[in-house]
Amino acid sequence: MIEITDLHKIYRMGDVEVKALDGVTLTIEKGEFLGIVGASGSGKSTLLHMLGLLDQPNSGKIVIDGLDTATLTDYEQTMFRLYKLGYVFQDYALVPDLTVMENVSLPAMLRKDRTDEQVKKDSFSILQKIGLCDRKDHLPRELSGGQQQRVSIARAMVNRPDILFADEPCANLDTENSRMVLDLFDEINHSMHQTIIMVSHEDWHREYFHRIVRLRDGKVVSDERNVPHEA
Amino acid sequence: MGKKELKVAFLLALRSLQRGSRSSVLLTIVIIALCFTNMVFLPGLFNGIGEGIITQIVDYEVGNVLVSPKTGEQYVTDLDATLDLINGMPGVERATPHLSKGATLKYRQRILGVSVKAIKPTDEKFVSPLYKKMIAGSYLGESDTGEVIIGKPVAGDPTIKQEDEFQPSLGGVRVGDSITIEYANGYKKDYRVKGIYYTGWSSSDNTVYVTWSDMELVEGKPLSYAEYITVRAKPGYSEKFIKDELQQYGVAETVQTTGDLLSKVMGSILQSFDIINMVSLIVGIVITTVVLFIVITIKTINSRRQIGILRAIGVDKEVIMHTYGMQVVIMAVLGIFFGALLTAGISLYMTAHPIVTPEWSAYLLLTPEDYIMNSLILFLASIVAGYVPAWQVSREDIQSAMRA
Repeated sequence: MIEITDLHKIYRMGDVEVKALDGVTLTIEKGEFLGIVGASGSGKSTLLHMLGLLDQPNSGKIVIDGLDTATLTDYEQTMFRLYKLGYVFQDYALVPDLTVMENVSLPAMLRKDRTDEQVKKDSFSILQKIGLCDRKDHLPRELSGGQQQRVSIARAMVNRPDILFADEPCANLDTENSRMVLDLFDEINHSMHQTIIMVSHEDWHREYFHRIVRLRDGKVVSDERNVPHEA
Repeated sequence: MGKKELKVAFLLALRSLQRGSRSSVLLTIVIIALCFTNMVFLPGLFNGIGEGIITQIVDYEVGNVLVSPKTGEQYVTDLDATLDLINGMPGVERATPHLSKGATLKYRQRILGVSVKAIKPTDEKFVSPLYKKMIAGSYLGESDTGEVIIGKPVAGDPTIKQEDEFQPSLGGVRVGDSITIEYANGYKKDYRVKGIYYTGWSSSDNTVYVTWSDMELVEGKPLSYAEYITVRAKPGYSEKFIKDELQQYGVAETVQTTGDLLSKVMGSILQSFDIINMVSLIVGIVITTVVLFIVITIKTINSRRQIGILRAIGVDKEVIMHTYGMQVVIMAVLGIFFGALLTAGISLYMTAHPIVTPEWSAYLLLTPEDYIMNSLILFLASIVAGYVPAWQVSREDIQSAMRA
């Protein structure tokens, strides 16, 4: 469970202060597929980055599974991200010099509780799940955008994180590939009871979310349950 | 940093080198190789020049130990007894006397003032490699009279006009030709040229050698004195040991090792070489460090977003720092290896084709210690140059890096 209390984030651009988050308070339950929506500049990506420990709030509190993230050192935050969190970025963010298999294995290789054999097995298994086993030795640039995003999801999932963050994962994809990615999220959410927090600006994505939080000017303006479509 | 982290850092470093910009990697390796060559070439050349000069001084001038007349005297006297004493000492390979006389050479229309040096050819063979340097004819025999060997510059080249000569010569004397030598004491005699030699050491090449017996004819009496005696040490015996021994055994003449003599003559030259070597080394290290620093800084700046992503997915900043550090280490090892190969190639070439000047000849002198020391220095400089920008970029906050 994630508890967010009165979260504030202010960016300073010269003399101008921009309130990216202005008192956000939320609770996110385990297993939810939460959509954060809003116009450009509404603070949705900022909120995602705060929750993903990629940025620090100016004030407020984020508690994940009873742990106040503000108490973590830089190294502990890194390890928290490695063991507990997974990320999918808009531009896939794969390491261009690594093969598909190496990209997917990378976070697992750093875990102290995994042997090389386990890393190989887990990576292969997740590649099977996303249907890219036959591309495991290819470099990212040899894949389509949709395939790259699926690899990115596989990398995020290889450590079986508690929470999966997705920052506009379909922004660079056409509708067919977007649907493929969202179906994959949906399947992961259902089959693994995976908590997913996704930022989106596409209206039709809402059909996948269990819950939709809408932001405007850094504030939560609506928080509603949603009945997703049956995949 | 555990084993797993190092393994990931190495994988990222290796893949970046294998699959990143090959031209940039290759260029960096070439730069390191050339920096290594630059670092070792000049000192190696100076060492070679210094060593070459010292070797030639030992071979053709003073031997390992020089026995010269006591202060205020002109000659080493009681020659036979002195030679017997020195030759009987442990560690002495051979001692041989020298006596030089100023003379004028005449050959056809040419007249040339030179130094004529009397030697005992058999003993001389143990002390000087002159007998190996014959380029025409043969070396002197012990009982030869009326025969001389002359240096190539003295013999001259018949194809070069007198006015075009670098130094005066006899204009093309060949083996078997007769030349006239007129000594300062008025003694004049025709000699047959038995051989022509070339040592590369100017002073020796501008000398005419005659046998001791011939010089006795010039002097008109048996020679029981010499201008100086050169002593060759047996392998494994130091010059200092021989000098101390000679003094202990009562050799009353002035005894000096090559080191003693060189410290007076060569000391300031070698000191200047050391200063130039040090400047060259520092410049080489600075250039390498700056180049690698720039290369890795550019690489890290271009990879800022990727570094941000890696940190976001849970890769620790230490791993990221080592990723770039290891890339430099790999490139440095390859650069140093190719630099060492290149230098060894140049060294081999220069051994076969030494630098020859009218005064001396030299080659590239590199010892295993030179290779090891310069490799270590360059390696350490590379690590500093690689790790500093890697350390800087790995500490950047994730958001700034990802926005890059």
